[in-house]
Amino acid sequence: MNPIITLNAVDYVIIAAYILVMVLVGYSLKKYMKTGEDFFLSGRSLPGWITSLAFLSANLGALEVIGMVANSAKYGISTVHFYWIGAIPAMVFLGLFMMPFYYGSRVRTVPEYLKLRYNEATRGLNAVSFAIMTVLMSGISLYAMALLFKIMLGWSLTTSILFAAVVVLLYVFWGGLSSSIYNEVIQFFLIWLGLLPVVLLGLKQVGGFAGLAARLQEPLLHSIKFLGTSNNPLGVDWFGVVMGLGFVLSFGYWTTDFLVVQRALASRSLNAARLTPIVAAFPKMLVPIIVVIPGLVALLVLPEIGQAAAGTADYNSALILLMKHYLPNGVLGLAITALLASFMSGMAGNVTAFNTIWTYDIYGSYIRKGQSDAHYLRMGRYATVFGIAVSVGTAYIVQSFPNLMDYMQLIFSFFNAPLFATFLLGMFWKGATGWGGFWGLLVGILTAAGHYILYKAGVLSYHSDMAANFYQAWWAWLADFIVTIVVSLFTVKRDPKELAGLVFGLTPKPKTEARWYARPAVWGALAIAAALALNILFW
Amino acid sequence: MSDTPETKRQEAAAAPEAGPGMSQGHVLDLKLPIGWLLSAYGVLLAVYGLLTKKEMYEISLGINLNLIWGVLMLVLGGAFLLAAFVKKDRKKRA
Repeated sequence: MNPIITLNAVDYVIIAAYILVMVLVGYSLKKYMKTGEDFFLSGRSLPGWITSLAFLSANLGALEVIGMVANSAKYGISTVHFYWIGAIPAMVFLGLFMMPFYYGSRVRTVPEYLKLRYNEATRGLNAVSFAIMTVLMSGISLYAMALLFKIMLGWSLTTSILFAAVVVLLYVFWGGLSSSIYNEVIQFFLIWLGLLPVVLLGLKQVGGFAGLAARLQEPLLHSIKFLGTSNNPLGVDWFGVVMGLGFVLSFGYWTTDFLVVQRALASRSLNAARLTPIVAAFPKMLVPIIVVIPGLVALLVLPEIGQAAAGTADYNSALILLMKHYLPNGVLGLAITALLASFMSGMAGNVTAFNTIWTYDIYGSYIRKGQSDAHYLRMGRYATVFGIAVSVGTAYIVQSFPNLMDYMQLIFSFFNAPLFATFLLGMFWKGATGWGGFWGLLVGILTAAGHYILYKAGVLSYHSDMAANFYQAWWAWLADFIVTIVVSLFTVKRDPKELAGLVFGLTPKPKTEARWYARPAVWGALAIAAALALNILFW
Repeated sequence: MSDTPETKRQEAAAAPEAGPGMSQGHVLDLKLPIGWLLSAYGVLLAVYGLLTKKEMYEISLGINLNLIWGVLMLVLGGAFLLAAFVKKDRKKRA
């Protein structure tokens, strides 16, 4: 099979320059990694603009970009729900209301918060499931990257997998979280610079927004107008979108996933930590420019997407085909580098989250307690090597059994959905008890699994798989919420003194000595207002 | 663990805006590598754009994308470098 895209020497120079810079940045960070906190949390010293961009980029992986372009070609402007409803409110909520407990309590990880707030069992359940998930996910995305580069450029799977693994290993081993964060910031700029030419040329060719509006069907052009019933391109009604996606899935991901929360914990002050997700909300609002517009353009200019017989279009190839369609060698190399960068930073993000959870919450809590800081720093480095080795192994296993990939992602969704209920009650209701938290979480996970089985067996039916997914998240959340409350009412309450700094009402309000323009509340309100305006504009 | 989260929480309560490890700081200014990388890309693309023929740009709607995008990246990269040098200069004077 011939590769879709042919690169020349200039393109390869661009790719090589990126790799070189990443490895050099990692190496130059080596001398700053003196303590565990330096390695795992960047010494809690990073400036706000860096943590904000990293917070955003941790979620702007290549798979996400390619997938969202595909969604836009399939569902049209409705894809913006994944941003304006499905991210902004949760990011603002994290910064305003939850960060004081995360950063203020000086926990180093999300499971560590669960231990302090609930009990050891709750932490164990979360830490072990998260550690397994991140390292396997990293393997899945490694395989996806290798597959993409094979189809697109004709590189062999083994070359891509081993090359990416070695580069990521080098810079995470040397620079820990800082390396990972710095890579994410560089990736942020590369992805915009690599994809904007496609957006601009696409708009020019189809005649701007007016051209898009004149030539596409109406349901593809509205985000909210057709949400009254599930008779819209998404096949989900407003309740599923708002509660399933906007509330449960989005808050669950943005506020409890250690991969993103870790970036805010690396901030140099509580105020900066609170601003991290809120400032990130602004560029997040603009991401639809580089994913939704290419999806719509692809429908008009690519016959293999826009004119394919129903159900046969390969939407996932839309972005790659557009790059081939518009970009000459040179800028093409830049776009490929952007994809490569976002794959590698996705992997580095998973690996740094894994080595931190492993070292603090599993190794340091259950295997070897009370060792010196240097000991744990060394363990963090070993965990990096181990995590990457498991990722490479996973990539090869998935290569032989591609169906495994879907199963793994499915199982992970069971663990993620209910978690937000546990945090919401933990942070805002002092009556939630240790065992209430544990059983709520466990029942929530089982509810998600049960819902899935009933859906597959045909007992429950929805308009689309996406609707089933959104509702599954909602029911899992509700089950966790109710069970946590009920069990808490019958189990022994924690001493309020132990919960100081962890629960709303038992924690002194964060002092706002920052000037008005540096206050999280001001920026949070602005972000919500802007997201609202965008939703109305693209109604 | 030697320093338990509980003791850290008490320290943190005393001085909520200053954490352990803060004094160390990370001295590497990320604006420098970003600035150098983008500027180098800019120069490379712009020069390549000047050296290549018109026919190559039929796919980009007749626009010499390498030249335009290269200049733009050079400006952006230059802005990062400038910001980094201004900051360094200020630190030196202070």
